Amino acid sequence: MNIEITDLTRRFGRTWAVAGVSLESGPGVVGLLGPNGAGKTSLLRMLATVIPPTSGKLRLLGSDPGGYGPRRQIRRRLGYLPQNLGYYPSFTVAEFVEYFALLKEMPAARVPAAVAAAIERVDLSDKARSKLRTLSGGMLRRVGIAQSIVNDPDLLLLDEPTAGLDPEQRVAFRALLRDLGQQATVVVSTHLVEDVGAACTGVALMDAGKIVFQGTPDELTGRGVGIDAVGDAPLERGYTAVLSAARAEPARETAQ
Amino acid sequence: MNISEDAQQPAGFEARLEAELVRVVAQRAAAAQPAGFDPWPLLARGPQPWPRRPGLTERFATRLLRSPGLARALVATPSLLLGWVVATVIVLFAGLAATLSTGTPYVALFAPAVAAAGIAYAYGPGIDPAWELSQSMAVSDRMVLLVRALAVFALNAAFGLAASAASGAAAAVTFGWLVPMTAVCMLALAAATVARSANVGVVAGLAAWVITILAGKAADGRLTAVISNPAFIPGYLAVAVICAAITLQATRAPRGTT
Repeated sequence: MNIEITDLTRRFGRTWAVAGVSLESGPGVVGLLGPNGAGKTSLLRMLATVIPPTSGKLRLLGSDPGGYGPRRQIRRRLGYLPQNLGYYPSFTVAEFVEYFALLKEMPAARVPAAVAAAIERVDLSDKARSKLRTLSGGMLRRVGIAQSIVNDPDLLLLDEPTAGLDPEQRVAFRALLRDLGQQATVVVSTHLVEDVGAACTGVALMDAGKIVFQGTPDELTGRGVGIDAVGDAPLERGYTAVLSAARAEPARETAQ
Repeated sequence: MNISEDAQQPAGFEARLEAELVRVVAQRAAAAQPAGFDPWPLLARGPQPWPRRPGLTERFATRLLRSPGLARALVATPSLLLGWVVATVIVLFAGLAATLSTGTPYVALFAPAVAAAGIAYAYGPGIDPAWELSQSMAVSDRMVLLVRALAVFALNAAFGLAASAASGAAAAVTFGWLVPMTAVCMLALAAATVARSANVGVVAGLAAWVITILAGKAADGRLTAVISNPAFIPGYLAVAVICAAITLQATRAPRGTT
């Protein structure tokens, strides 16, 4: 298992952003769905070893990221695309991707070819020498994806990767996700259920800091069949049906 | 493939061909790589899509730090970029001119303030656009902070010493500002790190230094009392140590659960 989480929590002040999440995943593409404020980004940031959990157990790629040595090893095999990717305006696309390849401690001899391959995979070869300040939002997102895959990661964490991509690029990106998921564990946080339906082998639906559904996209779709759930697509109806049920449960307990 | 076929290839073909050639060169370099082997000259000779050969500073830093990632992070320091360095030289040159014309060692008063601003702008969430991403990297962000801060401090100290020496100031004054400069820099760094804002660090460093200068003048009657009176040194050292501890605490790496 590349991800092993047991009762993981994360608190910011008085707010529990993640309130007891357990999850296991091997190679494949896991879609992390949920409304705004559900805790998806906090969970991804813990998986990316950017913030530590408040409590619970976390093992990534077979190691505990709590220690310096294991965390460094994990980070060498990790790819991460944050929700808000900062960039250096004066860097070119190739320089930006190369910078993070070096910070991931890739062997220097492998870096130029890995950078070239990563940029080509996101279809930005013709922009490789362009300064980042000249690129559109969608292209910058693809640069972010390129840096996340440059080290051929075993664990890839993508927070809203398709934000700003045009439909053609989203289709290409889903194909890339499926390809990456053959070998690596890919966790994709998104609001777009169609991305999940097209590219993910598993789905975890979060609400109020907890996972309220875990299964396959087909199983999530099945939750919306035969009931009056809101949504234009079958997967959306499953999504809203699960969320409605999860929110009704605490209300019912309170009433009793 | 004949020449006419080659001429009809799409535009991306050449780039992909170059990329493939780079891959082969890199594979060969990796296969034959002895300890300490530097593949960049070999790669620079071969065709490659983005022939960015690290500059002299970066290659020197790579050898010194034994980490290409740290070296790259160092040369990307905002307050070590050319524009910032030129601005630093101009301020110190103005201090030099003021010193020569008035006899008051203004260089010694300017240098700590300039260095503090540079240190605050060396690294951090308010400065580094890709701060969050950097925090998930194998090269520790605390190491990046340390290396960048040391480099900025060393460069500013060198410039300050050169300007001070050129102004003909007494040796005691020339070296007298290095200790307060350390304290002001550490204060700026601690404030920038805790507040997660370089501007807060700059304001804290400058305000503290101006207040200290004015307090020294009020107590001693001389503007330069803060750099020439040895009684201030224990205070500077205490501030430097406390601020270093605050910075270390604020940048501590996550260890398991909080």
